Amino acid sequence: MLASFLRFELRFRLRQPAVWIFSVVFALLTFGAVTSDAVVIGGGTGQTAINAPFVITQMLGIMSAVSVVLVTAFVATTITRDFELGTDALFFTKPIRTRDLLLGRFAGAVLVASIVMVAAALGLAVGSLMPWLDPERVLPFSAAPYLHALGVFVLPNLLVMGSFFFAIATLTRRVLPAYVGVVAFFVIYSISDSFIGDLDNDTVAALADPFGLASLGISTRYWTVAERNSSLVPLTGELWLNRVVWLSLAAAVLAFTVRRFSISPRARKGAAAGGDAEPSRTDTPLVVVHPRHGLAVALHQAWHQLRVELGTVLRGKAFIVIALFGVLNVVGGALGTIDELFGTPVLPVTHLMVRVIDQVFALFVVIVITFYAGELVHRERQVGLHEVHDALPVPSWVPLLAKLAALCVAVLVLLGVAALTGIVLQLLQGYTHVEVPLYVEGLWGLSLSRWMLVCVLAVVFQVLVNHKYLGFLLMVLFFVSQAVLPALDLQHGLYRFGWASETPYSDMNGYGHFLGPSMWYRLYWWLFAVGLVLVANLMWVRGTDARFRLRLREARRRAGPATTVALAVVALGVFGVGAHILHETTVLSRYRTQDDQEAGAVRYEQSYREAWLHAPQPRVVAADLEVDIFPHRREVLLRGTIELLNRHDAPIDRLMVSVDPDLQVESLGLPDEALLEHDEELGVRIYRLEPALAPGARLPFPFSLRFSEEGFKNHGSSTQVVDNGTFFNSAWVPHFGYDPGQELSDPNERRKRGLPERERARPPTDMEARANTYITHEGDWIDFAATVSTTADQIALAPGYLVKEWQEGDRRYFRYEMDSPILDFYAFLSAEYVVARDAWGDVAIEVYHHPGHETNVPRMIDAVKKSLDYYTTNFSPYQHRQVRIVEFPRYASFAQSFPNTIPYSESIGFIADLRDPDAIDYVFYVTAHEVAHQWWAHQVIGGDVQGSTMLSESLSQYSALMVMEKEYGREKMRRFLEHELDRYLEGRGQETERELPLSLVENQQYVHYAKGSLVMYALRETMGEEVLDRVLADYIADVAFQAPPFTTALELVERIRAAMPERFAYLVEDLLETITLYDNRAISATATEQPDGRWKVELVLESHKLRADGEGAEQEVPLHDWLEVGVYGEEEGSEPLYLQWHRIEGERSELSVVVDQRPARAGIDPRVLFVDREPDDNLVRVELGG
Amino acid sequence: MSTEGAELVIEGLSKTYPGGVRALRGVDLRIPPGMFGLLGPNGAGKSTLMRTIATLQDPDAGSIRLGELDVLRDKDAVRRVLGYLPQDFGVYPHLDALSLLDHFAVLKGITARGERRAVVEALLHRVNLWDKRKQKLGGFSGGMRQRFGIAQALLGDPRLIIVDEPTAGLDPQERSRFLNLLSEIGEHVVVLLSTHIVEDVADLCLQMAIIARGQVLRSGEPQRAVDELRGRTWKKVIAKDQLDEHEREHTVISTRLVGGRTVIHVFAEDAPGSAFEPVDPDLEDVYFTTLAKAA
Repeated sequence: MLASFLRFELRFRLRQPAVWIFSVVFALLTFGAVTSDAVVIGGGTGQTAINAPFVITQMLGIMSAVSVVLVTAFVATTITRDFELGTDALFFTKPIRTRDLLLGRFAGAVLVASIVMVAAALGLAVGSLMPWLDPERVLPFSAAPYLHALGVFVLPNLLVMGSFFFAIATLTRRVLPAYVGVVAFFVIYSISDSFIGDLDNDTVAALADPFGLASLGISTRYWTVAERNSSLVPLTGELWLNRVVWLSLAAAVLAFTVRRFSISPRARKGAAAGGDAEPSRTDTPLVVVHPRHGLAVALHQAWHQLRVELGTVLRGKAFIVIALFGVLNVVGGALGTIDELFGTPVLPVTHLMVRVIDQVFALFVVIVITFYAGELVHRERQVGLHEVHDALPVPSWVPLLAKLAALCVAVLVLLGVAALTGIVLQLLQGYTHVEVPLYVEGLWGLSLSRWMLVCVLAVVFQVLVNHKYLGFLLMVLFFVSQAVLPALDLQHGLYRFGWASETPYSDMNGYGHFLGPSMWYRLYWWLFAVGLVLVANLMWVRGTDARFRLRLREARRRAGPATTVALAVVALGVFGVGAHILHETTVLSRYRTQDDQEAGAVRYEQSYREAWLHAPQPRVVAADLEVDIFPHRREVLLRGTIELLNRHDAPIDRLMVSVDPDLQVESLGLPDEALLEHDEELGVRIYRLEPALAPGARLPFPFSLRFSEEGFKNHGSSTQVVDNGTFFNSAWVPHFGYDPGQELSDPNERRKRGLPERERARPPTDMEARANTYITHEGDWIDFAATVSTTADQIALAPGYLVKEWQEGDRRYFRYEMDSPILDFYAFLSAEYVVARDAWGDVAIEVYHHPGHETNVPRMIDAVKKSLDYYTTNFSPYQHRQVRIVEFPRYASFAQSFPNTIPYSESIGFIADLRDPDAIDYVFYVTAHEVAHQWWAHQVIGGDVQGSTMLSESLSQYSALMVMEKEYGREKMRRFLEHELDRYLEGRGQETERELPLSLVENQQYVHYAKGSLVMYALRETMGEEVLDRVLADYIADVAFQAPPFTTALELVERIRAAMPERFAYLVEDLLETITLYDNRAISATATEQPDGRWKVELVLESHKLRADGEGAEQEVPLHDWLEVGVYGEEEGSEPLYLQWHRIEGERSELSVVVDQRPARAGIDPRVLFVDREPDDNLVRVELGG
Repeated sequence: MSTEGAELVIEGLSKTYPGGVRALRGVDLRIPPGMFGLLGPNGAGKSTLMRTIATLQDPDAGSIRLGELDVLRDKDAVRRVLGYLPQDFGVYPHLDALSLLDHFAVLKGITARGERRAVVEALLHRVNLWDKRKQKLGGFSGGMRQRFGIAQALLGDPRLIIVDEPTAGLDPQERSRFLNLLSEIGEHVVVLLSTHIVEDVADLCLQMAIIARGQVLRSGEPQRAVDELRGRTWKKVIAKDQLDEHEREHTVISTRLVGGRTVIHVFAEDAPGSAFEPVDPDLEDVYFTTLAKAA
């Protein structure tokens, strides 16, 4: 009997269009994801093949998560449709077995859903056969990964999700609760997703994710490209547990459903509720009242209907549940990992809460709008009240506007609830600086005004297609198109419904200049939306015959002169505002898509590389600049003289000058007659030097440039010059010669555009490359001075010492001069600052910060002092007499070291929440790192070859680590390094080209920062801090401020090799010259108490040492290495009972050690000094033996 | 434009649905003020006709006028004087009767709070729902819902009342209460009442029409139609298996079971045979005769 129900369900479903529509949509989605960049589903990056098993698993896994809605649509209606159609009596009175009926239909529905998922898999498989794909990124077809993904993820997910929603719908006999359940599922999913960032919660996160995607993420987190391309995700560990747990849960839910489901029709709710005993007086005379009509009455009617509609939405369980889940999500988001660094949170400042709400609430608002637009528009029809309703004497705009307004108010309420949640969260965290106006502006102003446009669209779709589910589908397509259009390079907001340019908020700059353009876009789309509403009013379905042709006829009848005039006015408005925006964005401002920019880079390379890469050019040796900053009108006048020197043996007769094309050139130092070539779009000018610049001769190059952002941008308005918080660097002065840094670097894009393969960096042996530092191609050590002016209320800064400050009219002038040569790399800043001053010896310390951002300033000053202490003691003297930290707005999130000047983003240190003493003090760390750059970059700078960023970044990491360890102790270091290990392992999985050993790093952040920290710390632990610092001090003494050729990391490596203790000699190769990983594991540890009260711990250990190539393919190498063996007591973070280096031979070793106290944990490389992909198994619990 | 005492004139009304069903085929009717009964079997086109008059759909051809008012063109004006009770209708299940009736009153144009309250309360009393006014409509029985429907149709002093199968689902007492209410209102305004229950028309209507398969088979005063049939209606008690034979030989207008035996009525100018005895015709005989003739 079960089989016959299954067959019935299958037949029923397959006859309906839904399955086929979904199949086509899903297949198109996966097909699109494989064949174009327009659709992105999870996705492998870089070298991972388009159809790598990993990508297939991830993509189908994600699709199976998306298909929750789909499977719910199928399973939820299997039983409820009988109740809805009233056929329950027919069916459930027959002598049938409930179990067979329920399970048969359930199985049928899940099977149908799997058909859709198989279609998704087919779309993927067919897509990867398409001829236009880059053949280097496609693997030959194999069925195994598809079957694996379908079997391990997709089918179990459909069963799990299906069973839950089947249970909800069947037991409540309503479909809506099941859809609410869907929302709950997505919340569980997103919470589990945010857990994964938190290392300690891996297992919890893996189990909590019903889709198994978190487990997938965890078990493949450190996969290399080679593994992603060849391996299937093993069904072990957390993934296996996850599947078993959720499938068992599903089985239990199904069993429960079968038990609880009762076939007899549910008794109607008692009629007792509400009524009172007072009987009707049926002889009451009728009251005759003459109804009124007209605009005032219609408005009254609209208001009244709005209240009725809103009441039904707000009181509905679905809305309350969605709002609740939204609130939960806000809590999760706000307490979660947003803007967290090294596990340390930031203060719950209001703009952050608003941003969190904006991000995590979007899904719920989308659901509410899409769903309730359908419900509201079709409500009368759905309950069968439309005949009564449509014959009432109200204009059709009354219900239309009332429903639309109800929808908007529902969103307003939702956002209000979110804001309240945010405020409560702020207060609960002891943060009392609640900026209520920011909530209102951000959520009810900027956010709501865009959501309302979406409301209009959803309602208009529902009205036009007059079919609820088709309307839903259109909304889904709309949301998909929002993501797809920009990827197709269709980015302009004039044809992307509801677009408004972004309005990032910064404490320093508020909404700044972003607000104005955004308002124009809003106005444009609002006018458009009014037009849509006018059309919807004409097409509003009234009556019982809703054929499209008839509705058109009716629309013509309704279109009176008022509508026509209104439509014309709106159309004029849309065209007018649109024309204005178009003028601003494309005529006044340069409208450049990603594609345009890449094409520009291609042209630069093709036009100039061959002729200019090796062409001798004079060097920049000095800069004296006059910079006038006009923050309020966002303008900068950049004038001055750059001095060039011919250091070559031959005269130079051609000069290549590049000026950022966003700047206007008022004058350049050479006469126009000397101009040979001018590419306006790239800003490249080629001059003839007459007479040629003789060897050793100097050429002063005066210039006058102007930055002003004419018009406004569609998005990505520049953030360098803003009302409060200007920060730009030397990229804006003229540059000389060919800069390979401007070339297109992404290897895939290069292949697509027919460019030859490009080296990311030259080898250290390339002496031509070593003639330049890796920072610039045109100069090395320069003399620098600048006069910077700004408005009277602001302070303007540049590297150098303030030698003079004066005021002229309403402008303030600052003259900065540097007394020693600096790198050709400088910055200018201006804002309304409060200055905190301190001193370390005769070095002045100044922190320029935004008023209100003083919380962490003392820590920064403290870190500067302690850094100067360590670096001057152990490395070399500080070359400047001043350290300045200067805050800039949160548009970028970094700190950067310029000579004696450290711009520091408001988002990374100033609002860090360091109230928890256990948190990693990254303010201290970042500050120490940036101060270290005054040595590592500003004293020692590598040539433009592989490995040079190790010298700047890894050594700064090391320096900061040492300062931090002195301040916070070893235990904190272990936790910091855990983050670094994680960052490194994750980074290598996302490598787009190839990983390189540290000493050959090609500006890869996961290598020079993360691996750099690990390697330097391991070196320090093996060779000793004093020895290592000595090496570094000697190195500085030899290469600081050197002239070309510049040093390379290999020179440092040789010094380290020479100083390395004999027994650790192999480490130089392992840590610096190769990619070496360990797989260390403690198998068991058994302790027996000795007669003397001490404990003997017998350890069984396993070790493997692996060498990886750039693609991540690993090979085991023999092991004769020194590794630490440690035994720890019960107390977390306490001193080890035993920690010694042991020589480990071969993969398995057994050894025993004796400790004084009762041991709790023991193992190998317990501090994870060496890179280990499974650091958690290095320690094992000690078993107590007889 | 006054609709006081106006006549509803329907001319040449035709409607074919997309599936090819011809719901109305050239319907002509004159409906004077007062109660007008529209009799017809299921699928006769009654509801199509009534929805068309109620501005809910357009015919393919024909015209409808209410006095000087062109019903098909000036829908808004019609809606202002219309009270409509469709055959099937639902309610917002979570609202109570008072709130929804109040809501409809606003939408009818009774915006003054005090007036609205008086109107709504009186109507709830009249349809015997006063004690249920705070109860959620979702919990209403079919009969209660029907009474609620009647109440909303009478809101706002309608001049044209269209009630489609209003007595379906009412118990006898409620039915008579409703018919009284209708006749009270129906003295000066057009009340168009469709039903397949002949008694409703017989009890209430001065005028009526019988329609089937989209055509008006006859219209006029019920009593006159009954009189026309007098002396030409005969009945006979037969065995069940004799029915076929009788249907071949006579114009059988109705068959019913009385005490478990089959009683047939036939139409004939003269006595059709010895076993037949004359009966005093009623409206039901008229109805069935009309239908039988048309078949």
